[in-house]
Amino acid sequence: MEEKLTLFERIQKLDRRWVYIVVALAIIIPLMLPYNSDNVTSPPTENVYQMIDSFAGREDRAILMSFYHDASTMSELYPMQVAIIRHCFERNVKVFFLSFLPQGAPIIDMAINTVKEEYPHIKSGTDYCNFGYIPASLIMATVIGMGDNIATAVPTDAEGRKVENLPIMKGITNYTEMNLVIEFSGSVAGGYWLAYARPKFGTNIAVGVTAVMAADEYPYLQTGQFIGMLAGLKGAAEYEKLVDVFAAYREPGQPLIPYVDASGKKHVPGRPFSEDLLEKSDIQDLIKITTQTEAKFTSAEFESFVTTQSLTDQAKIRQAKTESDGKILIDVSKLKEDDFESGTWSALNRMTRNTPYKFKVARIGMNAQSVAHMMIIAFILIGNIGYFIQRARTGKK
Amino acid sequence: MKKTIPLLVVILGGFIWLAWVFVPHRLLQDVFYYDFYLPWARAMAPFGMLLGVMSLSMMHYGKIRRKAPKWQYSFFFFAGFIATSLAGFIGGTQKGGLYMWLFENLQMPMSSTMFSLLAFYMASAAYKAFRARSAEATVLLVAAIIVMLAQVPLGVKISRHLPDISQWILDVPNLASKRGIMLGVGLGSVATTLKILLGIERSYLGGD
Repeated sequence: MEEKLTLFERIQKLDRRWVYIVVALAIIIPLMLPYNSDNVTSPPTENVYQMIDSFAGREDRAILMSFYHDASTMSELYPMQVAIIRHCFERNVKVFFLSFLPQGAPIIDMAINTVKEEYPHIKSGTDYCNFGYIPASLIMATVIGMGDNIATAVPTDAEGRKVENLPIMKGITNYTEMNLVIEFSGSVAGGYWLAYARPKFGTNIAVGVTAVMAADEYPYLQTGQFIGMLAGLKGAAEYEKLVDVFAAYREPGQPLIPYVDASGKKHVPGRPFSEDLLEKSDIQDLIKITTQTEAKFTSAEFESFVTTQSLTDQAKIRQAKTESDGKILIDVSKLKEDDFESGTWSALNRMTRNTPYKFKVARIGMNAQSVAHMMIIAFILIGNIGYFIQRARTGKK
Repeated sequence: MKKTIPLLVVILGGFIWLAWVFVPHRLLQDVFYYDFYLPWARAMAPFGMLLGVMSLSMMHYGKIRRKAPKWQYSFFFFAGFIATSLAGFIGGTQKGGLYMWLFENLQMPMSSTMFSLLAFYMASAAYKAFRARSAEATVLLVAAIIVMLAQVPLGVKISRHLPDISQWILDVPNLASKRGIMLGVGLGSVATTLKILLGIERSYLGGD
């Protein structure tokens, strides 16, 4: 007759398929039911953000994003790429793209197109330039060559245009101007840039890596060879939050896109990074990942916002407003897009602080990761409790 | 002769590159690198790609011809290779074309699925094998739990200090061990490089 198993023996011998089912549910449910959570930003992510932001609106500064990965690691790396591109488009930072892997080239296209849908004023060749796929055998030639002259090292872009003739190249020659390279990789990232670009030309290097590879990059972070790092989905979620709080933030009435004033001075909307601001509780309204449809204003903010719109739209906005708790509210879900000019509609939507789904993917993913981590920790603890009790009983026998 | 000439090419090439790194003379930095090496590297790259495609095709063709184990899967290689190449050459690689459709709807989900399986294996391994059997295993287990908790918003809700503790684990013990490993690998690489440059290590030439 078969001996009856105790509870602890059963725990030890639990079929792994039960573990798989629990993990699957722990991931699927939070993905389907998003909830608001706060991802505390870490210095490596903040450093990358701050360096990119310091290039805002400058003709003579640019960044280069190297997509050194294939589709398998996209779930972690793609949201950080989208977040960085969004940051660049919001803050008028010139950005170049390349991939030394053929599989990376379509990912560049996908990332650019995904972000560009929200920024119709952004133009290829002017605001960004995609070099496309460059064979791996040319890595060294390209990395070193760009230190001398970018347009010589990469003569044509992915669309076959001569790089030297593109408007984006105005003020950009080599790493002196394109002074930040961010490499995204599922394995060892940034190696070639560290070996050739940094020692020879002093290029700033940052990396975006999968969470499992992050520990390998810490030696370079500590020495300052990497100015920052985005580690896994958490790094992406932190970056998304920073973009929402600073780069994509608009004061009521502030223009949505960069503009040049009468004196010829360029103004880049958004606000600069501030550690103090991140500690304040009122930023919680800016980083919600649940759908937001209400734009909230104080009286002064409302006037600032309304007076920047056209006269016909001003009347419609005033008609649509309601008041609650001393705040003026406009619920965009009760309005029709066609009734407003496109600029007014975009500005109204920006004031709701609602983030489009594609710009909060990492934070939704982090909710799932939260639950999955908790499940794994629970599994470890249960497994160990079962192990110790079983061992104690065996010892007694 | 069959081995001496390749050996000389490797030794000579190795020393030229070594000199290129350390000697800032125009002859090496401009004449050798920009005028000689760069055009050759650009010319060789497409041939490298062609060689790769030929090698892979010949390998799969051989498997089908010999009916080697799992030879049927080699047909998938040819089907995928031909379909993707034709889609790219005929329709272009931009959004809206067949090539991008194949990438977004076949390659991307398949690759992501393979990678995401890791989560299930990790959870299963954590449950079945991650036991505090010794002091070292206990330290590893505690460190793993702290780092895992600090990674996620729920963990930070438990304690605001968790990210700092986790950062310390990554910055100090993790960094020390990683740096030790990297120094070992670095010294090993230098030793192997020297052996190749001096012609002591010749196993890459094949044979004995």
